Amino acid sequence: MINASEVLSSVQSAFPGAVLDSRVESDRRLWATIDSEKILDVCKHLSTKLNFDHYSGAAGVDWIARNEMEVVEIMASHGAHQVVAMLKVKTPRENPSVKSLTGLYWNANWYEREIWEMFGINFEGHPEQYPLLLPDELVGAWPWRKDFKGYPDLTTGERAIQITTPEGYTELHVPPTPAEVEAGTVVKERPKYPSFREREEKEIKSDAEMIMHLGPQHAMVPGPFLLDILVEGERVKKAFLDLGYIHKGIEKIMENRSWLQGITYTDRMCYVASLSNNECYCGAVEKILGLEVPLRAQYIRVILEELSRIQSHLIGTGEFLTLIAGVGFAPWQYMIIDREQIISLIESVTGARLTHTFVRFGGVRNDLPEGFADKCSKVLPYMKSRAKEFIELFEQDPIYHLRMDNVGAITQETAKRMGVSGPPLRATGVSYDIRKEDPILVYPELDFKVITGTNGDSGDRIDVRLREILESIHIIEQCLDRIPSGPIKTETKVPKKVPAGEAYYRVEDPRGEMGMYVISDGGDKPYRVKVRGPFYATFQTLTPLLEGVYIADAVAIAGSMDGCPSEADR
Amino acid sequence: MDGIIESITQFQAQEPAVFALIIGIVGAAIISAVVNIGAMLVIWGERKVLSDFCNRYGPNRVGGRWGILQLGADAIKLFTKEDIIPGDADKGVYVWAPIVASMATMLVAAAIPFGALHIGGKDIPLVVANMDISALYVEAALSLMAIAVFMAGYSSNNKYSILGAFRGMARMIAYEVPMGVCVISVAIMAHSLNLVEIVQSQTIWYAFAQPLGFVIFVIALITDLGRIPFDQSEAEEEIISGYNTEYSGIRFGLLYFQEYNNALLGSILLAILFLGGWQGPIIPIPILDIVSPLIWLLMKVVIILWCMIWVRSSLFRLRIDQVTDLGWKWMLPLSILNLGWAVIIGSYFA
Repeated sequence: MINASEVLSSVQSAFPGAVLDSRVESDRRLWATIDSEKILDVCKHLSTKLNFDHYSGAAGVDWIARNEMEVVEIMASHGAHQVVAMLKVKTPRENPSVKSLTGLYWNANWYEREIWEMFGINFEGHPEQYPLLLPDELVGAWPWRKDFKGYPDLTTGERAIQITTPEGYTELHVPPTPAEVEAGTVVKERPKYPSFREREEKEIKSDAEMIMHLGPQHAMVPGPFLLDILVEGERVKKAFLDLGYIHKGIEKIMENRSWLQGITYTDRMCYVASLSNNECYCGAVEKILGLEVPLRAQYIRVILEELSRIQSHLIGTGEFLTLIAGVGFAPWQYMIIDREQIISLIESVTGARLTHTFVRFGGVRNDLPEGFADKCSKVLPYMKSRAKEFIELFEQDPIYHLRMDNVGAITQETAKRMGVSGPPLRATGVSYDIRKEDPILVYPELDFKVITGTNGDSGDRIDVRLREILESIHIIEQCLDRIPSGPIKTETKVPKKVPAGEAYYRVEDPRGEMGMYVISDGGDKPYRVKVRGPFYATFQTLTPLLEGVYIADAVAIAGSMDGCPSEADR
Repeated sequence: MDGIIESITQFQAQEPAVFALIIGIVGAAIISAVVNIGAMLVIWGERKVLSDFCNRYGPNRVGGRWGILQLGADAIKLFTKEDIIPGDADKGVYVWAPIVASMATMLVAAAIPFGALHIGGKDIPLVVANMDISALYVEAALSLMAIAVFMAGYSSNNKYSILGAFRGMARMIAYEVPMGVCVISVAIMAHSLNLVEIVQSQTIWYAFAQPLGFVIFVIALITDLGRIPFDQSEAEEEIISGYNTEYSGIRFGLLYFQEYNNALLGSILLAILFLGGWQGPIIPIPILDIVSPLIWLLMKVVIILWCMIWVRSSLFRLRIDQVTDLGWKWMLPLSILNLGWAVIIGSYFA
């Protein structure tokens, strides 16, 4: 297995002069600034020669003081080695433009679209540079740049007038004042690209086809997102996905809150997995600070994160069952009732049911309460028997197999290429789990298996989740046996101002690989927080998967992904 | 008691036309009341039983801890809500669809015996229109529901509705045929198409005499009623609510009620055709002995409905192509096989 410095030397020898600046943080992290002309060649070299087959995401950073922008490409591997390469590409702030990686990595599409609409960095060679999270009329203001002053208030502004757009929609428009035009803070003109609607309607080829909504107002969606399907009879011919219905701009908000306040925002990204979001953010900040977490706190974190995984898998599976069996289906209610016991366990420690804000820099907020182990010893064996029951129930149900077998199946290669992670990836048989690949806390000392499936179809995805519940219970039991006594917070005082630096930290969220890229400029607020959400990555694969299936199967496939649009939109 | 019956029989002999008219009007009033109240009880029962399966309480606030008045509250809500007709809907068809659905139910109810009274040593069937071909008639009237569903789905001018209507139509055509063949098989064994005579002829329940036919009829009936695992025409996770997506207020109430009316009537039909109808030992207690056939039928119907709810809480929904596949490729050939069996056994016993 190669390490970070070997990767660096390989790139340097293959492309002399391409690496402008580099830092080997550890065996698993490589930071390098790459010449923007050579980024495509370097990435091709990494993916073909060095097994960097996992494009994990990209982040845009606006360095206003240096008058330049940066795109950070995050590359990793599916198990061939454990190096994460953070490749930075610099571009000037005036007409920023970098080369698109969509030709090399299929899933670069959404990450680059997001950077384009938020920072205004143009991606040369991007096939569909349309807005993804922002509504069409807000594109052009580049809201995540550091000099962005906010949109004009359309609701109360006296200057607002109603205009009719070329597409026929009525919207409020605020004509800019001369001062604003001079300062350049307003959107001067709408960029020219087809709207979502136009892109959809272009695909309708005959009278027999129609576009049908499966969201945002639909019983199928686990949260608001727009999923339109082009159907001919019962067949889905093409699917269209639009995000941004609950785009909260959490990454930008966190830049304006203190380091500690940021934790509460990570809760709100995905409220069914808020503990792993907490962990991801705190872990990244701890890395910059160089804090050592006491052993007891590490165990508490692991226990709670695994409990959180169990309840997340239960509700994810339960909601999926309603999609193919209706809300009167009894096992779904059983899952919710069982989940309640896990939630109560977590609540007895953190005091909250869903948004915990429990993990702290260098520890946890409070210790386990009296008798927690006893409570666990009652609930966990029960959960184990229930999980086994559920697994058996679905294995033996012939109608379930009729509905699920080979529905939405992904091959290993496709799954890797599409950047899927978590249960959807493991269902295809790829043994890829961040708890093993990039271990944090006390995970290396614990004994657990990575659950994999065989076919990568919807049924496998559910099966993997249910079996992971058993593994999580196994982990918690080990932790409860081994947990030492001691402090739950680090002895060193956590400063208000975090020293300048950057870190990329990965955790295994219930939905897959979650990473956070945190930059500090030495202030009391983060300079930039980039969240690499697991469902954002899985979400992207939905449109190709839905092509050619039945409507009922489309619902089953979308449901088996265990969606959390709240986290995808952030 | 005997005197009253005697004078009624006398009146019937003297004025057959007037007697038939009076029976028709009184019967129509009674069956509308019985069927609709019955449907309300079925809805309440489904909620309670389904909640029980799911470890929940179900309605438990309105009308005491059993929530018995919940349905009254729901009905008042539905009937006083704004009635919205979509601007682009085909208004005439849209308005008539729920009415056609109600009519279909009432047509079925007219010919179905709701039980019998045991008076003077023999069973007097409680049926408004006791016709010679009532089995065939009921089968035909049940399939009118398909037309109502299609009318509702087509006229709503909504994508979900039209898909629901197509699904409903495809499903009903696929299952009406095996269902009809099963009814014919029963009629062959009973040597009659009259439902009352079919009940009287069941010395052995037809569920035991032709088990294959019974299974096919049960599946076809659940399909006809549009219940899980065959509720594709209103699969809410796929097509919102299917054919009745655009309906609101009283019109939605009518369509919703029809489903439960049909569930009730379908269960009675199943009990009559295959489970010996109101047959059962007479309870030797005064007054109870008169209604004991009614009690037996009611018990059978309740058990059938309970099983349907059980199925709903434990089975996954099939895909529409799998449903039609099952209907045409398995149910129809098997029902014809059952027909052959009925012919052989029927002629042997004859």
